[in-house]
Amino acid sequence: MSAASVPAAPEVLLRISNVGMRFGGLWALSEVSFDVERGTVLGLIGPNGSGKTTLMNVVSGVYRPTTGEVTYRDRRIADVPTHDVCHLGIARTFQVVKPFASLTTRENVAVGAMYGRQGGKRSTRASFERAQELLELVGLGRVADRPASDLTTPDRKRLEVAKALALDPEVLLLDEVMAGLNATEVDEALQLLRDVNRRGVTLIVVEHLMKAIVSISTTIVVLAEGKKIAQGAPADVLAAPEVIEAYLGSRWRKRQEQLKEIEAQREEAARVQPPEAHG
Amino acid sequence: MALLLAVPLTHNGYIEIVFRNILMYATMAYGWNMIGGYTGYVSFGQVAFFGLGAYCSAVLSQFGVDNLLADVLVACAVNGGFAVLVGLPVLQLKGHYFAIATLGVALALTDIIANLDALGGTAGMRLRQVDEAHFSVYYYAMWIVALAAILATYFIARSKLGYAFVAIRENEDAAAVLGISPRRYKITAWAISAMMAGSAGAVFAPANGFLDPSIGFSVDSNVFPIVMALLGGIGTVAGPFIGAIILAGANELLQRYFIKIHTLFFGAMIVLVVLLLPRGLVWLFGLRGGVRTWLKSLTEYKA
Repeated sequence: MSAASVPAAPEVLLRISNVGMRFGGLWALSEVSFDVERGTVLGLIGPNGSGKTTLMNVVSGVYRPTTGEVTYRDRRIADVPTHDVCHLGIARTFQVVKPFASLTTRENVAVGAMYGRQGGKRSTRASFERAQELLELVGLGRVADRPASDLTTPDRKRLEVAKALALDPEVLLLDEVMAGLNATEVDEALQLLRDVNRRGVTLIVVEHLMKAIVSISTTIVVLAEGKKIAQGAPADVLAAPEVIEAYLGSRWRKRQEQLKEIEAQREEAARVQPPEAHG
Repeated sequence: MALLLAVPLTHNGYIEIVFRNILMYATMAYGWNMIGGYTGYVSFGQVAFFGLGAYCSAVLSQFGVDNLLADVLVACAVNGGFAVLVGLPVLQLKGHYFAIATLGVALALTDIIANLDALGGTAGMRLRQVDEAHFSVYYYAMWIVALAAILATYFIARSKLGYAFVAIRENEDAAAVLGISPRRYKITAWAISAMMAGSAGAVFAPANGFLDPSIGFSVDSNVFPIVMALLGGIGTVAGPFIGAIILAGANELLQRYFIKIHTLFFGAMIVLVVLLLPRGLVWLFGLRGGVRTWLKSLTEYKA
């Protein structure tokens, strides 16, 4: 990759090359490689325990990969301290939400605005104003003054998004922010993410809700047992036999093939139905 | 606080010392509150900074410097430096380990000074004092130091710095993800905390006129500020002051009228505070939510 890239060519913002992550005797990730281009939405899917959150932790610098590396604009994430990752332009939400419980919702977001990428330029007051804007954007304006510990789970997910946005990121990693939302709320969330993406923020989205991820992603990467098993446009990826097998097991795949033969037009319905997933 | 300015007008030496001690403990309570209350790192070694500040004044006095402002400034510089130096390794520890390590630092420093003949060893050092007629200058100095600690806390609590401290207390990893360097801000909090305790010590030593390790590093000076902050409400601006007034006042009265069993009362009070007022008086008296909040707070810190 040359430093002076041609402006017309899609710019690779984030490069994951040959990443492996071992916990004791278990390889949670092995030989995972893909690029994330500026302005796109990358959907990251896979069955429970396939390594999605681990990969998010590697990309956001929480874990240092055992093998391989993640580079962001040619800079190795592993060399950057956790608290400087957001200054590079990478922000993330946590699947297990981490609000500052004793602070109000607005204060939670303001902390991000104070210390994020643009934080140095913001006064305390400006940080609070920015926080309020973001809370309105994610639909938490009405609970801005409530302690974050009072929020419901879906609201805490929204708070996570607002906190991450407060860091003024170029790349935003969203780890299951739609879990626990009802159908209307999912639509709202998708609208929000599209807006954010349209403003130039590149997204990496981990989500179990297949419908949501298909509708928003430019590219989908599928992980299974720590390995990348597919990558491509949403429709192609979901039709791939390896993906169906990873989700539903080999017996299901055989049965689906039989079904396909019997009734070709029901192919749509035989596509991936994710198992009841927790966390 | 303004009322306390009138204390020397009573021309009662005893009352003046009682209130000067209240101000001194309050200052230390604010110091403890910065690291233990706002930043969530419970230190049991703040007396090290108090003692260090006191010894700064004692040493300056040996060199003929008897200026309280110089005492406080030197104590702040020495304490700030010492806090950064000790904080680099010690603040890597968390929870109980941090608490024990800070206690260790305080005990080690006590022993080191007790064995340094240049600092008087266990025999201690005398400090030159102002003449009797101007004795209240020590009171006013302590008042200013306490006010500075309160104002510093007030402004820090509302600043970016204060939010960094609280974020670290609430969740250090989440704070780091938001761009806060935990190490840098923990050390900052500890240095500020050390300067507050050191300032109190720097004024105390000349006011007392004599300093030895058992005075400079007394158990009372270590424990009182923590209990005061707890009683008043940790992580609040008003808490340590309220706690200091009530606790020091109670201590004085108990010593006076129940000298034989006053420590028993004192111990019982600490137990009651921890059990019934885990968030301190500030929270109880409606500043933040009434009876229901209090009932909720009772179970909050129980594992």
